[in-house]
Amino acid sequence: MSDPAALGRLAAHLALLSSISFGGVPTVLPDIHAFVVANHWLTDRDFADFLAVSQAIPGPNMILMMSFIGWKVAGLPGAIASACATFAPPCAMYFAAYRLWNRFRDAPWQRLARAGLAPLTAGFVVAGGTVMARTADISWPAVGVTGGAAALLLFTRLNPLWMLGGAGLVGALGVL
Amino acid sequence: MALPTASPPRVALGALFYEFLKVSLLASGGGIVWAHRITVDRRRWLSDAEFADIVSVCQFMPGPNVVGIAVCVGTRLRGLVGAIAATAGFILIPGIIGFSLGVLWFRHTGVPLLQNVLVGISAAAAGMIIATGLRLLRAYRRRLPALLFAALAFAGIAIGQFPLLLVLLALAPLSIGAAAIAGGRAR
Repeated sequence: MSDPAALGRLAAHLALLSSISFGGVPTVLPDIHAFVVANHWLTDRDFADFLAVSQAIPGPNMILMMSFIGWKVAGLPGAIASACATFAPPCAMYFAAYRLWNRFRDAPWQRLARAGLAPLTAGFVVAGGTVMARTADISWPAVGVTGGAAALLLFTRLNPLWMLGGAGLVGALGVL
Repeated sequence: MALPTASPPRVALGALFYEFLKVSLLASGGGIVWAHRITVDRRRWLSDAEFADIVSVCQFMPGPNVVGIAVCVGTRLRGLVGAIAATAGFILIPGIIGFSLGVLWFRHTGVPLLQNVLVGISAAAAGMIIATGLRLLRAYRRRLPALLFAALAFAGIAIGQFPLLLVLLALAPLSIGAAAIAGGRAR
């Protein structure tokens, strides 16, 4: 079902949404879902499967998610176009914003802004982990895995790969 | 907090590409953990404060924030070509691998054992993100207002479930104001 016109519309929509996805791509997922389902490109089931698999695979999850959607709409060219539409506009914005911010790195106002913003950033990161734990921790042993991984990363110099590998092994035993 | 004004270490473009390739492939669910570990702990390209600074800028921007970290670290170390090298490392090869794995997955159905493994990995990944956030806070642990605003930011997202941009715009002026008052008193 390769359709250049459909691909053009999908890529344009993804580029627009990724440019306004403040707080990360997941914030515009509901909109993308409505768009692709209304166009009969994907079913609800397709969308849920794509999301689960893109979360499970290591790598740039949301870019992968969009490449799966593009693949479904227009094959490999669709996957590439959708991935580019998702990351290129925000990347240009990150670059411009950071250059501007960096130019004033010694300005007194920026020191204050930094001292005020850094604690908020830390709070948001902890909150992101907590929200993720809420869906990942389906049992008390899983909560223990989350707490153990946090403690090991904070208080030891153990390579995190051992934590992920160990946790995967515990999961494979079926006790979580 | 003032950042060191000295120019950052001279870093090869290939190293940027390679390290962000690693960040991307290692990051199941939480790229920030590996971005911090590799750029701050291992390579010492950045300090904790500089890393927090970059993440703060990324919070204000749309798009995949972890890609933003690659863009900003690359820009900080090597300018535009550095940004391109880090971003390409982050996206190119992991994207091809991930896409191929995904298409394979869709052609076969999920295996229960693999799904159990994923449960364990995502539980550990969540804990590692929490620990990375606490690390970013460590520089501010003696400043009560900073801890208070970190707690409010946490509560707004994790408990209140408000959109990130809303919490950010509500708390940033207050937190910066508190930092200004504290700074004035210290002087």
